[in-house]
Amino acid sequence: MTTVAERAKDLVKVDRRDGKLALAHIYVAFIALAIGGLCGLLQTLVRSGTFTLPWGIGYYQILTVHGVLLGLVLTTYFIFGFQIAAVSRTSGTLTDKQRMLGWVGFWVMTIGTIASATMVLLNQASVLYTFYAPLQAHWIFYAGLALVIVGSWIGGAGQIGKYIEWRKANPGQSSPLLTFMVVVNLSMWIVCSLGVAVEVLFQLLPWSLGWVDKVDVLLSRTLFWYFGHPLVYFWLLPAYMVWYVVIPKVIGGKIFSDALARLSFMLFLLFSIPVGFHHQLVEPGISSFWKFLQVVLTLMVVIPSLLTAFSMFATFEIRGRALGGKGVLGWFKKLPWGDARFLVPFIGMAAFIPAGAGGIINASHQMNQLVHNTIWVTGHFHLTVATTVVLTFFGAAYWLIPHLTGRVLTKQMNKLAIIQAIVWAFGMSIMSGAMHIVGLFGAPRRSDFSTYGGSAQAAEWIPYQIAQAVGGTILFIGIVLVLYIVANLLWFAPKGETEFPVGEISENAEKTPMALENWKIWLTICIALILFAYTVPVIDMIQNAPPGSKGFKLW
Amino acid sequence: MSKKREKEPDLKGTLYSVGVLGAFIIITWFMAFYLFIDRF
Repeated sequence: MTTVAERAKDLVKVDRRDGKLALAHIYVAFIALAIGGLCGLLQTLVRSGTFTLPWGIGYYQILTVHGVLLGLVLTTYFIFGFQIAAVSRTSGTLTDKQRMLGWVGFWVMTIGTIASATMVLLNQASVLYTFYAPLQAHWIFYAGLALVIVGSWIGGAGQIGKYIEWRKANPGQSSPLLTFMVVVNLSMWIVCSLGVAVEVLFQLLPWSLGWVDKVDVLLSRTLFWYFGHPLVYFWLLPAYMVWYVVIPKVIGGKIFSDALARLSFMLFLLFSIPVGFHHQLVEPGISSFWKFLQVVLTLMVVIPSLLTAFSMFATFEIRGRALGGKGVLGWFKKLPWGDARFLVPFIGMAAFIPAGAGGIINASHQMNQLVHNTIWVTGHFHLTVATTVVLTFFGAAYWLIPHLTGRVLTKQMNKLAIIQAIVWAFGMSIMSGAMHIVGLFGAPRRSDFSTYGGSAQAAEWIPYQIAQAVGGTILFIGIVLVLYIVANLLWFAPKGETEFPVGEISENAEKTPMALENWKIWLTICIALILFAYTVPVIDMIQNAPPGSKGFKLW
Repeated sequence: MSKKREKEPDLKGTLYSVGVLGAFIIITWFMAFYLFIDRF
């Protein structure tokens, strides 16, 4: 338990029992990184046309392992580990009940993960991480996914419980920024995952069990993307928590504005959910008016994204100038480039510039035809989640893990972490760059290596596929390096105290309006926007439903 | 308003940085738009 005096001296440590819960999640995350990363390497090798998988392992099998383990397991577990530690650090030690919810959630999620992963490894569920119907997996795969979602609700309830307790104990006060951000992220997660829960429980499970013959594909994809787009913001917002709250402290500066940070998170809550149609822009059965409306709402996300960019630049400039940086950009050189806790997430931030620009292109209604179902999209989300988000998570792991294990990041490990991030950026530039370019040439995503019957156009793609394998191999070296550093921080690094950096608000910042924490207002707007964007088109989908499809197992 | 309001921080670099970022987004968007118009 942290005493008031310690809190005042900023020596706040995450309670050991909470730390254990956070670490349990982080262990699973990095195991997923090891297996999922290996599958990623194998995929790029297969697609280069120079390598065949041994022992009858299927391409789509490893593609599913890669997507599920990295897109769903690594992210969700790291996020939960980070959020538990963040809430405990900023709002105080969890109560026994809150921690118990955390553990129950962890085990429910883990049982679900093991069930789903087993079916994928047995080649009973090679349906990729989007598990689109009418591809039909074994029912245990879907049941496992349902458990992961339910587990996340239980674990999330523990974190939200701490926030409610804090608000009750401190009426009229603004909650700790990091805890507030965690609660925004969980609110978004709970609202959006209801969609995928409905899809899995009412469509895919009965259908895979043979209780019904056919599935409404359009409705299932709509429910999936109602969940799928906020999912990418569920990955991104914890990275933003690190940028807004942790990085200012790491560089020795202050948080530019508490109100701006809260406003941007609330805008993400509003504009992340009613936007799923931008993943279905070429889909028949949805009228272009509703697609257009959701495109407009999607592009609203540019506002909090640019607020974040402004806020980060301002934090850097104010700190750099305080350190003596002169001229328009002299402050940039003054930043702590030798500190992995700063540099690694910074590379992630830089990657978000092309990633964001690509995202706007993807979402631009008719222009989506240019890139739809091409490997450009794969290149895009390898910049967003696989660079911006994971490099920020790696950068966070370099202080979070030693904070929780009572160890320190040595100079050598700091240096290796910097090398790791450079290796990652280099490998990803090659791989994602090649994906973007060849995607514009029409190369499809998801598919196994093929010459498409000797097509001249497909032959043009092969050099880029080889470039992807080169980039993928370099990235795998990056994975080995990060696993080495994480193992060191978990078990071998010297014992000592590591700070959990939490920035202070700048004295120049305006007072935060309490309206930013009025959940009644924000959740009402959030639900109103969802109803506005989805009610009519979903009724239309149900009333004029397509004939329905039986299940296919094409692997 | 206090007459002795503290000097605002110098954020000229931030202004240019977000300007360049905005320009990058607009340029890439128009490049893709050109391709789209050319193809469809």
